[in-house]
Amino acid sequence: MSLPKHIYEELEAVVGARYISDRPYILAALRQPLPNIATPPQSPEAVLLPGSTAEVQAIVRICNKYKIKYIAVISSLIVFAYPSEPGTIILQLKRMNRIEEINAEDRYAVIEPGVRHGQLRTELMHLGLSYPVASVGPGGSVLSNFACASGDNHNEYGSSRTNRYICGVEWVLPSGELLRVGSLATDSGWFCADGPGPSLRGLIKGFTGQWGGMGVITRIAIGLDHWRGPAEMPTEGRSPSYKIRLPRDCHRIHIFKFPDLGKLERAMVEVGKAEIGFSVMKFFNASAALLATESANDFWDLWNSGLFQRELARPLYVYLATQSPEEMAYEEAVLMDIIGETGGEPVDASVQRIYEDNMDFYILVGFLQRVLRLGGAWAPAKLSGDSIHHMFEVARAIPEFMTEFIDKGMILNAPDNFMITPGEYGHFAHIELLFLWDRGHPDWANIGMNFMRRSQETDIGHGYHSSSPPRTGAMLQRLGPLYSNCHVWAERIKQAFDPNNVSNPMP
Amino acid sequence: MTQLADYRHTMESCNHCGQCKWLLGPKTRGWRFAEICPIHAQFHFDAYSGQGLINIARELLEGRLQYEPGLINLIYSCTTCGACDVNCKSVRDMEVLETILAMRAKCVEDGQGPLPAHREMAERIEKNHNIYGHDHAKRQDWLTDEIKVSAESPVAYFVGCSASYMHTDIARNTARILNACGVDFTVLGGAEYCCGNPLWQTGQREAAARQVEHNLAVMRERGIKTVITSCAECFGALRNIYPRYSEPDFEVRHIAEVARDALREGYLNFQRPVDLKVTYHDPCHLGRCSEPYVPWQGEIRAFGLHVPPKQWRRGTNGVYDAPREVLRAIPGLELREMTRNEENAYCCGAGGGVRSAFPEQARETALDRIEEAASTGAAAVVSACPFCRSNLEDALTAEAQSMKYFDLTELITRAI
Repeated sequence: MSLPKHIYEELEAVVGARYISDRPYILAALRQPLPNIATPPQSPEAVLLPGSTAEVQAIVRICNKYKIKYIAVISSLIVFAYPSEPGTIILQLKRMNRIEEINAEDRYAVIEPGVRHGQLRTELMHLGLSYPVASVGPGGSVLSNFACASGDNHNEYGSSRTNRYICGVEWVLPSGELLRVGSLATDSGWFCADGPGPSLRGLIKGFTGQWGGMGVITRIAIGLDHWRGPAEMPTEGRSPSYKIRLPRDCHRIHIFKFPDLGKLERAMVEVGKAEIGFSVMKFFNASAALLATESANDFWDLWNSGLFQRELARPLYVYLATQSPEEMAYEEAVLMDIIGETGGEPVDASVQRIYEDNMDFYILVGFLQRVLRLGGAWAPAKLSGDSIHHMFEVARAIPEFMTEFIDKGMILNAPDNFMITPGEYGHFAHIELLFLWDRGHPDWANIGMNFMRRSQETDIGHGYHSSSPPRTGAMLQRLGPLYSNCHVWAERIKQAFDPNNVSNPMP
Repeated sequence: MTQLADYRHTMESCNHCGQCKWLLGPKTRGWRFAEICPIHAQFHFDAYSGQGLINIARELLEGRLQYEPGLINLIYSCTTCGACDVNCKSVRDMEVLETILAMRAKCVEDGQGPLPAHREMAERIEKNHNIYGHDHAKRQDWLTDEIKVSAESPVAYFVGCSASYMHTDIARNTARILNACGVDFTVLGGAEYCCGNPLWQTGQREAAARQVEHNLAVMRERGIKTVITSCAECFGALRNIYPRYSEPDFEVRHIAEVARDALREGYLNFQRPVDLKVTYHDPCHLGRCSEPYVPWQGEIRAFGLHVPPKQWRRGTNGVYDAPREVLRAIPGLELREMTRNEENAYCCGAGGGVRSAFPEQARETALDRIEEAASTGAAAVVSACPFCRSNLEDALTAEAQSMKYFDLTELITRAI
């Protein structure tokens, strides 16, 4: 099916001929055969590049008029960026790419969807400001990370998940109506998402949410933090071997290893209680090996050496960022006391040096896509948030379902490739389990879904709150009854806002 | 690995991460000058990017996409600058640029490419051995009496079409620099044909092979052990294309490297100041695309393991330092850096046959680059590629901009 000529012409009248296409070769770029999905990609019927909120509104109204489904995207990294059924058009918002305002005094920035992390983060560095950069790489859209996806990040401990940073929101509802949220609703500026005026942050991005299926966010303001580093990336060397070191007087990294998860958990809690550190986490070890190497072969050399399995199976990464050397001395002394009391010890110096030499790990995570370097399929499981203690309970149950997949050679043998990140100085935590499998495996098409299902059922069996936010109808139906029938409410909200079911249909 | 099907692993590995469109994080300095792909910056659709072209290549290979004029135009809108390739390879084991070039070769094999402008260029090269169709007998007319050239030397200055006919000052200045450095060199004169790079970049591989094989035979016959170029395109061809046809038995050096070494060793001294603030534009084929080609044949096993191990060309070892060291050594000259530099340099817009097929597109990209150059506060942009020169100078003239363009060889000659 392609768009009827009169509908195409109506859309073309909105954006102009230069910014719309239904040519098969243009759409080929959006028929992305994702490495972890077996089914052939569904082609959109057309792609549009709107340049303003008014154009987005006009397009959405036309979609409602003709019951055309639309998906608004920026970088298209995740599966929800692609049509799940025929008759869908894609709105790429990349021309809407302005940083409209940086308010250093009130600490917020107003941005359009096409602004990328690499752009905003480095622009803010000049002003001594920052924000939690979601771990997606420098080309990821800031707005979609804040408004539509999970937004977990390496600095969550000293900041939070990105949805806590949303201030004013300009929102084209699924019907095309324009809604301004928070202080923006009463022309009071962008500074607050919770009023005066309606606060609808939970609808835009709740735990279940619609993953962008509630219209198009065209502008947001995000809260900003103080940046304790230099005004520019202190980059040395050339790709792919950049070194990015921050001044040691106020920026230090310590990585410790623990004999068991219990001791690691205690150390993480105690560091939070002491309110020291800027970033604290238990990081993935296979992903760490991928980030530290420059080719798949390099990875295999490192992984087969066993160094990262030995040193980083149960690590505590602590990044101390202080205002003064005296503060650094204090935080370091407290940290060492805690580590001594909880049974941790420093990792091999060669491992620690990797991070000291590339502190972009805490700035832009520019090499994040290296975790996909093995070229096969990948998926994250868990992705939920609760207390530190609960996330460690979840972690202890991982072998119950994961071991079988490893033993049968279905996934990479990396049982410790999970991350637990505390947020807001330990007041909550996030868990994420990344598993990789190869497309050469005869059952590769089913491995991902089977793994995630087993992970989910294990959590449900234990009564754990750790399963992925429901991103598909099937997952929503399974988990909804366990969460106060949130699936019923989610559906009702969706129907109320999007009666024609044209906005970002969930697969 | 030269056929499109050889790059199936690349085509199946892409996950649309966008790295091919954006400057690498460690090099980013702010909102402006953050895009790295000149066609994506201009046309915005994903199809105009490394990722999009890979998807197109896959669908063409699998017969799911049919040729049509718009598709051929899109495929040839790419400047083959390799920025997508270097950026992708900072995080992935993929061959983005090789896939794009193999797709162009497939278009030619299928009788769908190249574009008329490229076909005409190939005809001119076939007939007159240069891209302009000028009289081959005049290829050495740039040479003046003051320049000392040996009839026989194992060191050859490979002049290239552009310096032979269009920018003859580059040829003369290069020869003067070699004289000043005390380098005993020869020129190939009428035996020198087009390097073949413009043919290779436009997918005309059989025609490119004829140029390469001719030049290789001449160099063997003349006992050439070192080839010096003043043209980035020729340099890139000799290092990256020629080894695909024959094991190289000569060293390839750019005049910037020769001058740098002569400065270090005291054979060259800069006497005269050049009071100028300049910024250096890294030509794609002198920088990221100039790493020597290393053939690889093997198997890609589970989880990306390459057997035998593959030596990747990631742009790390292009010629970046030599021109900068030379410029910094010129008294009175101040060198300022653009945000997109070295392996992350932004293309001037001329490459891959774009300037001949789509001059407006090439000019728009050049203007973007000039804006970046001006943002450094420099009064002039310096480079080491006659094709970059043509494109940047034309854009400067058309827009009546005050910024000047200098070839590296001109500033060196002024300072000697």
